[in-house]
Amino acid sequence: MTSLTTDTSSTSSSVHEPKPELSQSPAVIAAMDAACARIAPAWPLDRLIAVNPYWGFVDRPIEDAAAHLSALSGTRLTMDRNWFRARIAAGEIAERHLHMALHECAPELSAEDIIAALDEAAPKARSYPTMVQWLDAERDLTREFPFAGLVMHQLSQACAAYADDAQASWSMPRDRGLYAAFRALLADDESPRLLVGVDGLGAAAKKLPEAPRASIEHALSVMKLEPTEYEDYLTALLLSILGWASAFAFVRWDARLTGRDDDAIVHLLAARLTWELLLHQRVADESQRLEWRAARREWSTRPAVERRYARVDWVLQRALELAYQDLLIPDLGRQERSSSANPSAQLVFCIDVRSEVIRRCIERGRPQLQTLGFAGFFGLPVAYQPLRGTARAQLPGLLAPSLQVVDRGERHGAAVSSASRESTVAGTVAQLARGPISTFSWVETLGLGAVASLLRDTCALADSGSDPLRRHAHAHDLRPVLVGADGTELSAERRAELAAGVLRGMSLTGGFARLVAMFGHTATCDNNPLAAGLQCGACGGQSGEVNARALAALLNEPAVREALVREGIYVPESTHFLGGVHDTTTDELRLFDLATLPRSHRSDLAELEQQLARATQQAREERAARLGLGNARRESLGARLRHRSRDWSEVRPEWGLARNAALVVAPRARTRDLDLEGRAFLHEYRAEQDTGFKVLEQIMCAPMVVAHFINMQYYASTVDNRRYGSGNKVLHNVVGGTVGVFEGAGGDLRIGLPRQSLHDGDDWVHVPQRLSVFLEAPVDAIDAVIAKHGLVRNLVDHEWLFLFAIEPGGSAIHRRTPRGWESCAGA
Amino acid sequence: MSTTVSLLLSIPLLFGFAGLSLLLPTTGVLAHFDLPRRWRVAQLAAHAAPVLTALAALAHGLQPGPQVVHVALPGAALLSEIFGAAPATLSVRGDALSLIMLALVTFVALVITRYSQRYLAGEPGQLRYLRALLIIVTAVSLLVIANHLLVLAAAWSVSSIALHQLLTFYPDRPQALVPAHKKFLMSRVADTALFAALLLLYRCFGTLELDAIASRVHQGIPDSPSLEAAGALLAVAVMLRSAQLPFHGWLIQVMETPTPVSALLHAGIVNIGGFVLIRLSDLLPHLEVAQTLLVLGGALTATLAALVMSTRVSIKVALAWSTCAQMGFMLVECGLGAFELALLHLVAHSLYKAHAFLGSGRVVQSSVAARMRPREDAASPARAFATLGFALPTVFAVDALAGGGLGSSPAGWAAGFIAALALTPLLARVRLRQSLRANTALLGAGAAALMLYLGLHAGFGLALPASAPNALGIGGVLRLLLAIGVFAASFALHTCLVAAPAGRLSQRLFPMVFAGFYLDEIFTRLTFALWPPRQLESANHPAAISATTIVRSDA
Repeated sequence: MTSLTTDTSSTSSSVHEPKPELSQSPAVIAAMDAACARIAPAWPLDRLIAVNPYWGFVDRPIEDAAAHLSALSGTRLTMDRNWFRARIAAGEIAERHLHMALHECAPELSAEDIIAALDEAAPKARSYPTMVQWLDAERDLTREFPFAGLVMHQLSQACAAYADDAQASWSMPRDRGLYAAFRALLADDESPRLLVGVDGLGAAAKKLPEAPRASIEHALSVMKLEPTEYEDYLTALLLSILGWASAFAFVRWDARLTGRDDDAIVHLLAARLTWELLLHQRVADESQRLEWRAARREWSTRPAVERRYARVDWVLQRALELAYQDLLIPDLGRQERSSSANPSAQLVFCIDVRSEVIRRCIERGRPQLQTLGFAGFFGLPVAYQPLRGTARAQLPGLLAPSLQVVDRGERHGAAVSSASRESTVAGTVAQLARGPISTFSWVETLGLGAVASLLRDTCALADSGSDPLRRHAHAHDLRPVLVGADGTELSAERRAELAAGVLRGMSLTGGFARLVAMFGHTATCDNNPLAAGLQCGACGGQSGEVNARALAALLNEPAVREALVREGIYVPESTHFLGGVHDTTTDELRLFDLATLPRSHRSDLAELEQQLARATQQAREERAARLGLGNARRESLGARLRHRSRDWSEVRPEWGLARNAALVVAPRARTRDLDLEGRAFLHEYRAEQDTGFKVLEQIMCAPMVVAHFINMQYYASTVDNRRYGSGNKVLHNVVGGTVGVFEGAGGDLRIGLPRQSLHDGDDWVHVPQRLSVFLEAPVDAIDAVIAKHGLVRNLVDHEWLFLFAIEPGGSAIHRRTPRGWESCAGA
Repeated sequence: MSTTVSLLLSIPLLFGFAGLSLLLPTTGVLAHFDLPRRWRVAQLAAHAAPVLTALAALAHGLQPGPQVVHVALPGAALLSEIFGAAPATLSVRGDALSLIMLALVTFVALVITRYSQRYLAGEPGQLRYLRALLIIVTAVSLLVIANHLLVLAAAWSVSSIALHQLLTFYPDRPQALVPAHKKFLMSRVADTALFAALLLLYRCFGTLELDAIASRVHQGIPDSPSLEAAGALLAVAVMLRSAQLPFHGWLIQVMETPTPVSALLHAGIVNIGGFVLIRLSDLLPHLEVAQTLLVLGGALTATLAALVMSTRVSIKVALAWSTCAQMGFMLVECGLGAFELALLHLVAHSLYKAHAFLGSGRVVQSSVAARMRPREDAASPARAFATLGFALPTVFAVDALAGGGLGSSPAGWAAGFIAALALTPLLARVRLRQSLRANTALLGAGAAALMLYLGLHAGFGLALPASAPNALGIGGVLRLLLAIGVFAASFALHTCLVAAPAGRLSQRLFPMVFAGFYLDEIFTRLTFALWPPRQLESANHPAAISATTIVRSDA
């Protein structure tokens, strides 16, 4: 059946740009913008990368932000006290850590106070008294359908219908924006009458202004809110439908990256506020309206109350983090360490915490091998252009692509036509099977074939986890190649400039080995809606394969090598670059484009491959216990992990970035002998090569922020999985093909990580703690970057992360505190 | 007792004993019989059952014994005493229908048991899950081989009550409880209707043994109003259990339970109603009211639910609406007397839907892959109707050439008509300005699909005893016209919607279709009144906020 979708030409992101509306009060505009800015974006499922979900609140100290957020939405930013009690009982937090934490953040309290408070019951977290919430509080919700449920359902379904571009074949027109669609659906909605016995809402909604901004202003004035209440009230409304607000915040973020804009989040706010107004007009009587006003007044004291209560929790939180830092700091400060002069091969991995394990396994006992850490998109600001269809960004979410990677090769023509044939057949079958009339006979005709699919999938025989855009018959005959944004060749200068920038960024400007391999990473798994979350975040939630291969090809070009000499980087002729990929679910290391390897390097490669195979085995053995394969025989481990990566019923293909805790920006020699337990992001950096500290600035503004995003995503999903995590994976129900997931049949869109990614069924695997960043760089240079970038300053000064400076080449470690640099004891 | 029947009977016994062993306490001397070992017991049973079914099929093929065998079982004696049916035995049917259904049930059970073990790793309540799963499989595998209607009805109730345990697998989720309660209430109404129907049937025939009823029917049907009443009650029970509009809400909303439970429900439980009608294929063609109810309710559900499905925004809910529609179609086939097609539909849909649910996480990848292909332009109404004009005679001509039987029965006419409707979107892609190769491929695919369809039709026809009376009464004509009319109207409507997706018709209809025609709200309110979910700790809680969001048909 042909698609019934109305809007086929434009993507939803560009549909609705904000239009100026007449006579807006500045107070309303400011409050509206502020409320929208409080909501962090949430990326869709096909590019699920991490973000700090509290991103809109980093402009204030974390404890203030937490208190405010708690009062607005009822969330908490720390684990409950039972959990801390267990950490203390297990000795993970020692008494001295409590004392250190008290000294740092609550000198007026004593350790005894904290221990005593562990048994206190937490006061009930309450959210802002929105009209919906306040009316429900007075009703018997066991016998009556809650307004909150009605509103959430109506809004969430309208949002889904607006955002969906893949699931429904008949959608509503979205060219006039979300708010118009919401009004159209509400106008004829019988469910308020049928479910809660409230009549005439649709008619009342029709009388409201059609433009969302005007509607917001109208509602605020009709309900007689004070301008001082606007911002908190509007923010609370968005937080009450956080999933969709975050999804539309992403659409706005994405549009703004490329100089456009999108207003869907304002439309959502207007729609949510319209419900408030309708209930205010049609349900609440005069005395209830007055009481509501009083409840809102009373709310203003709530953040302070939350702040007071949470003091103890922040001491406990800080003690937990100190306990970790306490162990790590002496290790990082130690000076005697092994080195790897004249390595036979250099292997560059993503900074991802999962690389730490495999890198350690590669280097352990093999001084001839050297590994480095660098952001897994390898500094290439690219979008991958598949054989057909639109390009896909392969770079961090903070950036917009300016170049492309395309597939080239002799079989290109054959590949295009076979890919087109395959997708046409698949599309035709899918449409016939799903068409409202054709489905019946087609199910009868083709349904029995599902026996074969069921057998194949039950035995995990299918290779379904690979990149859907690179799954055609000739995929292996093509090579990813770097080109300009419009598909044209890049000039020689631009290529050399790119190459030099990347090599400097990874502090690899001399001492090249005969083989230098760039390993992107991927995570093979099947039937996992959140699979992109296990892929390379620096590549926009995709496999880093194409970036790594395109970079290796670039660095092997003789013209680029020549130009690099002019940039002061001499790459010997005997050096060959390879592109590869590290599969984090199986720990396999695959190398590509080996046909282009010079004959002279064959034996080097053979030796390297052997060493890598052994490292793979060691890494598997290290990870086995946590994956529940502790009892598996060593020889069968590889097969078990491969099976697991293809198993359609596997809900924990790997632990991803769980337990992440630190970022170390330093030469590998600093960490080479340390077992960082797969908890640290590692970025190669040599301060002495960094003229003007340009690279340091780059690292602090990009990789450090990205590591913080990941850290806070895991943090938030753990401390409040209901609001900031996506709940139980076995209930996940994909919305709009790639838009997001519902937990169950409906409700709000869910953001963040599922419980299964954080919890093993017995206990939390992830330990929610803020990122500890260690920079081996002079404090003045670090201070200069902080002074220059307000964003970095917010993160550091408001304690969203902890920043440490390691004396370059030395052993002293200082922590940057609000009071200045303080020496860390024990270093 | 024949080999076939002993093998058939061994399957519910196998699952039953496995289920009973899991009921043993987990403490004391049995502490070493821990969760992994209990899983192993379930896996063992699940792997053995398809083997036993295959052996039973082999035995049946080698030695087609009597269709019905009476087995002396302790429980059966009591049943016979109460209902007076002599002899005091439990009768088991060793026919092709039993074998096909058992093959389906044991295969789906195997897939789901294997899937569940890894999928539920780390979830609390796994033992509860396994017990309920095994009880359901025991009940369903007994149900499909039973010859006594009372055994069948009892097994049906047991499976439904055990299913309730799975639907409330997360008792702390109010959004799971409301639809579970709704389903429980509807199923009990269905039970009441079914047992009332059985009582009336017993009064008409003096027996509830299916083979005895069949032979009485062949001797001449008593023209009695209570028989028609029994038929009507039976139809109502089946329609309630098959989630037909407007009783469909629970099926749409029970996504609050792990994915394999949805697969089990959609592949092995919701279709039992269709199986029961096929089992009664000797009797049903004589029940005018029942047939009319099934065709009317089924055809409306099939077309309306399919339309709603096309507006759904989430994969699992779309699949649920699809099941609702497919069950409607199956009931239409039963009501028209096309029992072999209904059986084909039941089996094919079960397998397809089990796979679709279990693999529903892949929709992200397939949506990304779909971006690689250009969107198809819609066929204009003129083109669609012209294509249909070509497809209709083609279907019947091909069938006649292949020696098929579509033209010989009214049900065949309807099936052929609907097959032509299904071929139309494929054939409408044949265009003059396209390459010859593409057009040939399309025509070839259409021809191959049609041959496959006719072949399957004929094949399943062999599996069932020829039964339907050939005399086409006035009721039969009306039902035929009704079915064809509903599907033709739906085709016309859809063609217009596709041609003008932003047109006035589309815009006017969309909100109502998107809301599922507001059919379920009344049942939700009723459920709240009769059996509300537990009190929530706080209305402020996000669980409460989403608590009832999905308790609507249009979730």
